[in-house]
Amino acid sequence: MSGGSSAESTAGNPVAVVAQGVDMDFGTGAMAVKNAAFSLERGRFLTILGPSGSGKTTLLRMIAGFQTPTRGTILIGGRPADAVAPHRRSVGMVFQKLALFPHMTVEENVAFPLKMRRFNPREIPERVAHYLDLVRLAGFSKRRINALSGGQQQRVAIARALVFEPELLLLDEPLAALDRKLREEMQLEFRRIQKELGVTTINVTHDQREALVVSDEIIVMDQGEIQQQASPVGMYRRPANPFVAHFIGVSSFLTGRRTGTGLTVNGTECAGQAVDDIAPGLAAQGAIRAEQVRIAAPGGDLSGCDTVLEGQVSDSIFEGERLLYFVRLPALETTVQIYHHDPAEQAPYARGATVSVGWNARDLLIFPAKDR
Amino acid sequence: MISRSQKIVVWSLVWFSIITLSLPTLVVLGASLTAGNMVAFPPQGLSLQWYEKIALARDLQQAFLRSLIVATIATIVAIPVGTLAGLALSRFQLRFTTAIQVWLMLPFTIPLIGSGIGLMLVFGEWHVLGSLWPVGVACAVINLPFIIWSVSSSAVALDPDLELAAQNCGAGRVQTFLHVTLPAVMPGVITGSLLMFILAMNEFLVSLLLTDARIVTLPVLIYNSIRSIITPDLAAVSVVFIVIALAAIWLLDKLVGLEIFLKSK
Repeated sequence: MSGGSSAESTAGNPVAVVAQGVDMDFGTGAMAVKNAAFSLERGRFLTILGPSGSGKTTLLRMIAGFQTPTRGTILIGGRPADAVAPHRRSVGMVFQKLALFPHMTVEENVAFPLKMRRFNPREIPERVAHYLDLVRLAGFSKRRINALSGGQQQRVAIARALVFEPELLLLDEPLAALDRKLREEMQLEFRRIQKELGVTTINVTHDQREALVVSDEIIVMDQGEIQQQASPVGMYRRPANPFVAHFIGVSSFLTGRRTGTGLTVNGTECAGQAVDDIAPGLAAQGAIRAEQVRIAAPGGDLSGCDTVLEGQVSDSIFEGERLLYFVRLPALETTVQIYHHDPAEQAPYARGATVSVGWNARDLLIFPAKDR
Repeated sequence: MISRSQKIVVWSLVWFSIITLSLPTLVVLGASLTAGNMVAFPPQGLSLQWYEKIALARDLQQAFLRSLIVATIATIVAIPVGTLAGLALSRFQLRFTTAIQVWLMLPFTIPLIGSGIGLMLVFGEWHVLGSLWPVGVACAVINLPFIIWSVSSSAVALDPDLELAAQNCGAGRVQTFLHVTLPAVMPGVITGSLLMFILAMNEFLVSLLLTDARIVTLPVLIYNSIRSIITPDLAAVSVVFIVIALAAIWLLDKLVGLEIFLKSK
């Protein structure tokens, strides 16, 4: 596991959450979570990222206390949480479908945790008002939940999860159902509030963009297993395995054998660098980001590239600020994806056009071949 | 587009149902307003004399009061039992769920005369016949499936995360039930309770078996009267029943809205 966050961590940041060898077996065949281990420092924003069925929500629900791990321990604030009932944990949660109480007003929803946790009744109205202000819902306190828009409901859910000042805030994909504009607005909102309060936060999502935008740290999960824990930049630059490379960003994959300087694919030498030590001759897989591959007219300027190959454009997709090319490389018998910026400046390459593509050795990451 | 012939078929069906469903009510209403001494439709002149008569009849008044007591007891018994059973059957993964469901629906599958005789034997054995509360309990038992259905349909629509959210807010089991689960199924409880009240109020066969001359309820009293002579005062009593049922429906609409009742299965 690569850190990338070590510069920010100090002795003044004790650990907020630790998972040790956590298994969850629902007895339905494959285990939902396998041997999950991670730790999170106080005040940080962690995103657990993974496809549906990767076990990320199960892990979150174990931290909330709704499910008990089959094996292993979860420590919250240094204390084992296993024996603590969910309603006694100092954990606030925003649910996927928000789960606001429909028969209560905005104010009553936000006051509910304070009443249940026996706060001084004289303090409650002031606190509720303070947190409604924080989520910019002052003036909505007497509204009914179903009289609010989707974004406003999100804010009520955040206020309800934070109002009792929990040690830990959990976000269970609450943004998944929103349209893109509102989702991006709420992502920044989550980040603002988290920074303002400094509350340790664990967010679950399948949206890689969200993970990169909001988090201090990312954990990628697949098939119940943690694949990597790193900072957004660290994870993007140094994916620990092909799955992470595939899940974050757009990458092309080359399958071949390890050589001294890179990878030989279909008899063609490709310059690259190994992430793990792989003995030459062993099967290996290379991954390269679409924005790290350069494209030029045949014989065009690809200076500085360690590997240059010829290919034909098989398709292109206009994405506004950039074009995504699919280029067939006959020498490798594969197709690579290439991002090309400023498409307006240059005449785009037509489908079927012959082009040169090239990359730097440091950008083709070589992993041991895995049966995937 | 609906063609002309389809329109005719649909409208004739609609009117046929409206007429067949409301005709008995209209006939009874008309008969109760007669100025004559015979049950007849159309009425022979209009008058409220029969309403005046039933309002002054002591035996009718007392029977009406007893029916109210029976209906109240039945509702009070049915609310906790029906609510908890309805919630348990729809919200928890119980062992033998199907068996429990069948068992709870049993009163429905057995002819009323059968359950009536059974209850009569049981209450007779316990020497409690002759008081009103066994009648109320019996009405609760035989009509229990209605409130269970009503609560279940509300509970199924309840988001399970709502209860987890309550726990996350710091609510224990009992608090979660009182503050979140119960309010969420309240429409079902209200619908079921009103239904229980009306059904117990109107219950005849089981009441007939469980009451004696000292504690006749209104439906039983009407039946006894029919056996001797049919006078328009019975029509007036029937109208009172209809008005009570309409009041319950109005109340239901005010409290939870009729669409919930119409949607529930």
